[in-house]
Amino acid sequence: MTASIELKETRPDLGVVKEILACGHKTLTEPQTLEILRAYSVPVPRFKVVGGVDEALEIAKGLRYPLVLKIVSHDIGHKTDVGGVTMGLRDKRDLQDAWSQMMLDIADDEPRAFIEGFLLEEMAPRGTEVIIGAIRDEQFGPAVMFGVGGIEVELIKDVAFRLAPVSRQEAFDMMNEVKGISLLTGWRGGGIKDFDAVVNAIMRVSDIICENDEINEIEIVYHEGAVAVDGRAVLK
Amino acid sequence: MGTENVKNMDFFFNPSSVAVVGASGVPGKLSGIILASLLKSRFKGAVYPVNPKYTEVLGIACYPSIKAIGKEIDIAIFALPAALTPAAVKAAAGLAAGAIIVSGGFGEADGWEYESEIKTIAADSGMRVIGPNCMGIYDTLTRLDTFFIADERIKRPKRGGLSMVSQSGSFAITAMDELAADGLGVARIISYGNKADVNESDCLDFLAEDDATKAVALYIESVDDGRRFVEAAGRCSAQKPVMAVKVGKGAAGSSAARSHTGAIAGRPEIYSAAFKKAGVVELHGYEDFICGCKAYGIRNEPLECRGSRVMIITDGGGMGVGIADACVQAGLEVAAPSADVVERLSAIFPAYFSMGNPIDLTGSVTDEWYARSLEAAMSGDNYDIAIVAALWGPPNLTDDLAKLLAWKARESGKPVIICSPGGAYSRKKAKLFMKEGLPVFTTPEAAVRAAAVLARGAAGRRRAI
Repeated sequence: MTASIELKETRPDLGVVKEILACGHKTLTEPQTLEILRAYSVPVPRFKVVGGVDEALEIAKGLRYPLVLKIVSHDIGHKTDVGGVTMGLRDKRDLQDAWSQMMLDIADDEPRAFIEGFLLEEMAPRGTEVIIGAIRDEQFGPAVMFGVGGIEVELIKDVAFRLAPVSRQEAFDMMNEVKGISLLTGWRGGGIKDFDAVVNAIMRVSDIICENDEINEIEIVYHEGAVAVDGRAVLK
Repeated sequence: MGTENVKNMDFFFNPSSVAVVGASGVPGKLSGIILASLLKSRFKGAVYPVNPKYTEVLGIACYPSIKAIGKEIDIAIFALPAALTPAAVKAAAGLAAGAIIVSGGFGEADGWEYESEIKTIAADSGMRVIGPNCMGIYDTLTRLDTFFIADERIKRPKRGGLSMVSQSGSFAITAMDELAADGLGVARIISYGNKADVNESDCLDFLAEDDATKAVALYIESVDDGRRFVEAAGRCSAQKPVMAVKVGKGAAGSSAARSHTGAIAGRPEIYSAAFKKAGVVELHGYEDFICGCKAYGIRNEPLECRGSRVMIITDGGGMGVGIADACVQAGLEVAAPSADVVERLSAIFPAYFSMGNPIDLTGSVTDEWYARSLEAAMSGDNYDIAIVAALWGPPNLTDDLAKLLAWKARESGKPVIICSPGGAYSRKKAKLFMKEGLPVFTTPEAAVRAAAVLARGAAGRRRAI
């Protein structure tokens, strides 16, 4: 708790964003986005970026199964569509198989993509997902979005928006505004603590968009276990 | 920035002299209509027609130029073709404090170069400019009326507490005509069109400090400096209720908005977020706008609504149930009366009456029953809004009902909304309520819309404060 307060007071140094911009990239990969979230005290799963399968197997020893393996590439927008995400790896054998299959799938679907590595992360317990996003609007500047559900929220448009910076009260209001909030039965059971965790995440995403002019868009998928399980960002 | 602008705009709402550039007596010409309505509206300041072709227009002296008037002018009104406007406005700079350009043919119709010339003149000279492509100002305090539609076609509302700020001129006049027909009053209406200079935030800065304005209704197609808008609207909503309709939401709507006032429509959900941040009640479409205007604009005094608890009083059971349903759908609370309300009601009515919500006064109703039940329900802190659905079938109801209800409404200090559906007889009687300054709606849905606007306003203002 103390740690997170200290982090809030001194604005996190996101030199990584400037470096990425210098490389000519317009987006942040998932691990890069997770780094930013971590810097802003948004809980993220334990993760590591690895270069190949041997390193993955070695690193996995220090992590707790089940794991998730994800491709890391600026050239791949939708990782899931090209077989770039495998969840629920129970042991090293699963991991090895997943890596082999992923290499084949990517070779088929995205043969020209430059692969920067593989994200290996601990898998959050299954549960309802929420999506928290932020954009920089041409007329009104930074704004934050909240919706229940993963990618589907974009389809059903059951989302709430507020201009940033978002206060604690506004974050609560956003959650209560979406109809899908009733899907969060787990949270209801979990009570105010889990609700609070999401409110905090909404406020931190608000801080990220307010304090980092280089970031034009950021979107994270946040899990019932109160950790960010996916993230992407678009730079200026 | 805020206070500076208030000073800077003040003369538009307190002008002692107005020049109408290009005025002529030729029937149907815009400048002629404006001049005629200025003369007819008993505008308090001096009026100077300017046109080198005439020495006299509509019976008053006409000047060859603004300079020839020989005095500083507060407002110069231009109704000239776009191509001729920049030169004429430039000639007025330094001589007139402000300009209202009602003509079109600027940014909305590929006349960007004329519009940017106007912008430059305004920026360089410090002259404030309303328009182009607008109606200008209709003001019941100063009696300034630059709306170039004759009042046979568009009725002017009487003096009231509601001020309207509209990017669209036709929206403003249609709404104003409708309010006038229902006997509602307004303070100031500003149609600002392409906003070469004066925009919605400038107007809000002025209206926030304007004592004559008790509530503000906005029609917006686009906002340029979003954060300044949020600040200005937030300051205004801290003083008085502010409501807004934002149009241009879908692809078709937004391209229509672009060709209408040259505006870029933006993301609707971000506009909604901006309204929330500023404590502005968002209205959804024209009907909501009119309902909101009627709900807030009815009295020449601030109408404070504290919450969303509605009491429904009617002499028609079915109508009452319908209103209750519509209330629940709109997110309003329709709670049964608490013990103290029931006690007050029991003192008035026979025991066989069902004291619920709605209170059904049945066909035996009298004027007094209505008045006393309204008083019983609204005194104390049980309900925030009353919807009274008076059906005129019961034989004992008389014309005094309107006066009695208006009196009890004033006494309660809470908004009382009248729903008066029905045919010829009921419509005639509905006018009685209007005359008493009560907001009247002919359908249950419209009455509930109005109540919902009031309740959203209460919630929004609570949040913002």
